[in-house]
Amino acid sequence: MISSCASKSINLVRGGMRAIATSAVQRSDHLFVHRDTPEDNPNIKFEFTPENKKRVEAIISIYPEGYKRAAMIPLLDLAQRQYGWLPISAMQKVAEILEVSHMRVYEVATFYTMFLRKPTGKYHIQVCTTTPCWLRGSDEIMECCKKTLGVEVGEMTKDGLFTISEVECLGACVNAPMVAINDDYYEDLTAKDMQQILADFKAGKPSPPGPRNGRYASEPAGEPSSLTEEPKGPGFGLQPALA
Amino acid sequence: MFRAPLTKVIQGRFGSPTHGITSKAIRSSAALSQTPAKAPEKIEVFVDDVSVKVLPGTTVLQACAVAGVEIPRFCYHERLSVAGNCRMCLVEVEKSPKPVAACAMPVMKGWRIKTNSEMTRKAREGVMEFLLMNHPLDCPICDQGGECDLQDQAMAFGSDRSRFTDINHTGKRAVEDKNFGPLVKGIMTRCIHCTRCVRFACEVAGVEDLGTTGRGNDMQIGTYVEKLFLSELSGNVIDLCPVGALTSKPYSFVARPWEIRKVSSIDVLDAVGSNIVVSTRTNEVLRIVPRENEDINEEWLADKSRFACDGLKRQRLVAPMVRMPNGELQAVEWEGALISVAKAIKDAKGAVAAIAGQLVDVESLVALKDLLNRNGGETLCTEQNFNVKGSGSDLRSNYVCNTTIADLEQADAVLLIGTNPRYEAPLINTRLRKSYINNEMDIASIGPKIDLSYNHQNLGEDAGLISQVCNGGHPFSKVLENAKKPAIVLGANVLERPDAAGIHTTVASYCKKLNKQGWNAFNVLQNNAGQTGALDVGYQPGTQAALKAQPKVLILLGADGGKVDREKLPKDCYVIYIGHHGDNGASIADAVLPGAAYTEKQAIYVNTEGRAQQTLAAVSPPGMAREDWKILRALSEILGTPLPYDNLDDLRNRIEDIAPHLVRFGKLESSTFGNLTEQLATSKSIENTKIDVKQKKLREYFMTDPISRASPTMARCVREVSGEEAKEESQRQAAC
Amino acid sequence: MAKYLGLDRLGKIFQIIRQSGGIKNAYMKLYRFDDLKVGTLVGTDKYGNRYYENPYYFYGRNRWVEYADHLNLEYDGSQIPADWYGWMHYKTDLPPIRDGSRPKYKWMADHSENLSGTKEQYMPYSTTPPKVQAWDPKKSK
Repeated sequence: MISSCASKSINLVRGGMRAIATSAVQRSDHLFVHRDTPEDNPNIKFEFTPENKKRVEAIISIYPEGYKRAAMIPLLDLAQRQYGWLPISAMQKVAEILEVSHMRVYEVATFYTMFLRKPTGKYHIQVCTTTPCWLRGSDEIMECCKKTLGVEVGEMTKDGLFTISEVECLGACVNAPMVAINDDYYEDLTAKDMQQILADFKAGKPSPPGPRNGRYASEPAGEPSSLTEEPKGPGFGLQPALA
Repeated sequence: MFRAPLTKVIQGRFGSPTHGITSKAIRSSAALSQTPAKAPEKIEVFVDDVSVKVLPGTTVLQACAVAGVEIPRFCYHERLSVAGNCRMCLVEVEKSPKPVAACAMPVMKGWRIKTNSEMTRKAREGVMEFLLMNHPLDCPICDQGGECDLQDQAMAFGSDRSRFTDINHTGKRAVEDKNFGPLVKGIMTRCIHCTRCVRFACEVAGVEDLGTTGRGNDMQIGTYVEKLFLSELSGNVIDLCPVGALTSKPYSFVARPWEIRKVSSIDVLDAVGSNIVVSTRTNEVLRIVPRENEDINEEWLADKSRFACDGLKRQRLVAPMVRMPNGELQAVEWEGALISVAKAIKDAKGAVAAIAGQLVDVESLVALKDLLNRNGGETLCTEQNFNVKGSGSDLRSNYVCNTTIADLEQADAVLLIGTNPRYEAPLINTRLRKSYINNEMDIASIGPKIDLSYNHQNLGEDAGLISQVCNGGHPFSKVLENAKKPAIVLGANVLERPDAAGIHTTVASYCKKLNKQGWNAFNVLQNNAGQTGALDVGYQPGTQAALKAQPKVLILLGADGGKVDREKLPKDCYVIYIGHHGDNGASIADAVLPGAAYTEKQAIYVNTEGRAQQTLAAVSPPGMAREDWKILRALSEILGTPLPYDNLDDLRNRIEDIAPHLVRFGKLESSTFGNLTEQLATSKSIENTKIDVKQKKLREYFMTDPISRASPTMARCVREVSGEEAKEESQRQAAC
Repeated sequence: MAKYLGLDRLGKIFQIIRQSGGIKNAYMKLYRFDDLKVGTLVGTDKYGNRYYENPYYFYGRNRWVEYADHLNLEYDGSQIPADWYGWMHYKTDLPPIRDGSRPKYKWMADHSENLSGTKEQYMPYSTTPPKVQAWDPKKSK
């Protein structure tokens, strides 16, 4: 409480100093340029697996002759799915396949935040913290993840299983709060649910995705509270002259 | 033309009415061929209530330009594709709810564009405020200061006061600097993300090394992971950058634009004859920037031409030198040097020969020829070889780019023989690249496999392929024959081969077949700025004649190519070097007479398409060096055979008597008698050997003449580019 | 009477000439210094300059130096060494030869005259590189 008061008063002072409103410089947890590291550098070989090679051909064949480069995002995605994340050598491989310069692929891969350009855990936990989820308690969910896994946002656990990231709205506000783990949505969470989910993943038997409060999908919880009566027929509520 | 005597102008010999008509006719026919048969109807728009008629598809910005209203812009550039991301060009259009981006929006009929309304001004001010919000206030230490678009436009369209009161600088974006290589300095915090450099690299230079990474506030312009920007045209991004994000590395912290004196001149480091502006201060060349000329360099300039100017300050010959009995060159006074040179020439009794080099101007060529002819010498050659058999260099169309540089971008099928235009003439390569992009030009090359910055078909290295194509027996012959505007470009180095005559006549007679009305397909791409001029005034190509004559005195006029050495000359031969740099020529000379470099004299140069242009003196020659023709004039006086011209006007009159086109600066005279080549041909045989080009990689581009060999910047380029190319090579091998 | 006619000055001239050592010597003195004065020899410095004083002359002209003979016409005010300088400029009335309290240290440098305009004058060298570097034929080999 005291700390929040203090930060507010600092903000007030700052706001007073600034006549032009700039949002605080909130940088993404991704760096937008590549840096050579032992786990990610151009000398590490990347090759598509034989079955993925077939997929590559299938993806490219969708696009008309001469517009091969349109397959760039699908191929990067494929590479990411194969490797778990997207190393620089995978980008180079995609560039080679599509016969474009390395820069063009690199531009795309750095633009989209869903291309993970640093080592990422087997399970990528994306905690939505946008307003509806936040109102429904995403802070607790986030806190729970951090505590259970012992890592901060953007970090990977030592066993290479989990990475937490904070994401913006994933479009499941009706089932807030929610997290996405890899491609699956886990919805209507409580901190207890989250703990359970993480424990399941750790044990190697992932729990099924979906809402955790007994809903099937996004239908109202319990009984519907509106639109309960029989629908009115056409002409309802019109003035008599028009009826 | 202003140099012509008044009488000649009155007589109408100069700029005669017929000449004017022909040139106009050529231009109008070229224009006609570009526009479709039926021009679409023009539509009327109103710019600030002034009616303007423009073609459909014209953008608002262009329509405003027609009306004479300039719209502020950062990202828009006439020669690049439209990006529309700076938003500076927002203008109000009546009945449009929000301002429109003028650079990207095509006009519609009856639009009323308001370039000075309240909304427009507010939009500009707002955009400017956003740009300045993340732009550092480091104008005092920024090299762009004084020639910065952002500064100028902030003055013209920005707010008069700042609302940015963040003195702790917690809010300004900061971006790490990138290494763009030895020529371009990147201070990326200043970048406003106009992407002009990225578009230039992709579209004009054809090197996809630049790009944007990241998004939003974190967007950055940069090269691919610590890669250098490897292009022979990289310097142009400095001119394109509207702010100080990309500036010139050699010119950094050297001068401010208001301190420098600007002199319009011509570049001579390749045979394109690019128009340049030489910036000087206190008698020192500081930098060279391009000058717009639609017929030649558009507004680009190759890196060597732009950055080799620091070579003008090193290895210079500043005093006449004479070889002493101990075998060492020693600086002497002009008088002594000229007397000893004159004595040697007199003693030779006519056994005098001369070899002209790479960077010689027409004035000194003519003066030297006159001097030698008066002293019994007839052997005057150029250092670079050429076909001498058959019509050889007698017909002008045999050694120039007949298609012309500007027209090459309309060509739809081009065959390159033994040339790498990318490094021999980078600005001709941009024309070819333009045609490749816009006209879907088919391009093939005979020679080693090289990277031309666009896709082309490599037919092979064998010289035999030339006759195959020219006999119509090759698949590419069909392409050439079916093309509307075919062109064949012969590299100058191919014509140094022993079978030059065969290649030359084979290609020339094939081109005769390909020629259309108003279209000449035959081109020779010279790579020396002095060559066309030398052949125009009657020098023989190649050093063989001079060496064969076994002269007692050999005059090297800027001949630094290393093709002449002491072993090939008779032992007692007295070698005189006239030139501006201490290079191959000066080191074998018995007497060295220091001349002036191209920035130091007013001189005529003829480019590879045969266009005569003149340089203007930007600085004075260093030390005791003098303009070359003046040295020859002084020497003639001592020899007792004074040349009949005392000033530049007289000399130019003499040049005009020899070849009138040489003093019609900027105009292109079309060559005649081109079809006689075949009749005068002696042999058509071609040896079946491999064709090679000298400059295959970028590292081989930077040092090709005495000036660039003396330049520390070019040396740095060679060093860094070789390192980068070696790195790429090793990566490629590792990947394989 | 003689004073009014200025005849005493005539006598003075003869006196000066006599004291100067004859007509020839007096002429030489006049030639060298454009002046002919007599006074008491106060002292001689180590360079051979002779210092005179004569209170007959007005203050400011009553102390003077006759430079060493070998200097001939090449004399200069800066040839007066520092110790005699004070006496010459009335900073002190004690000439150095009579002033025992003057310190003498080992590190005291010998007096040197102003060398400006001579071959030995101080010439600072340029620290900026030349704008144009000339070709050196010896280096290229």
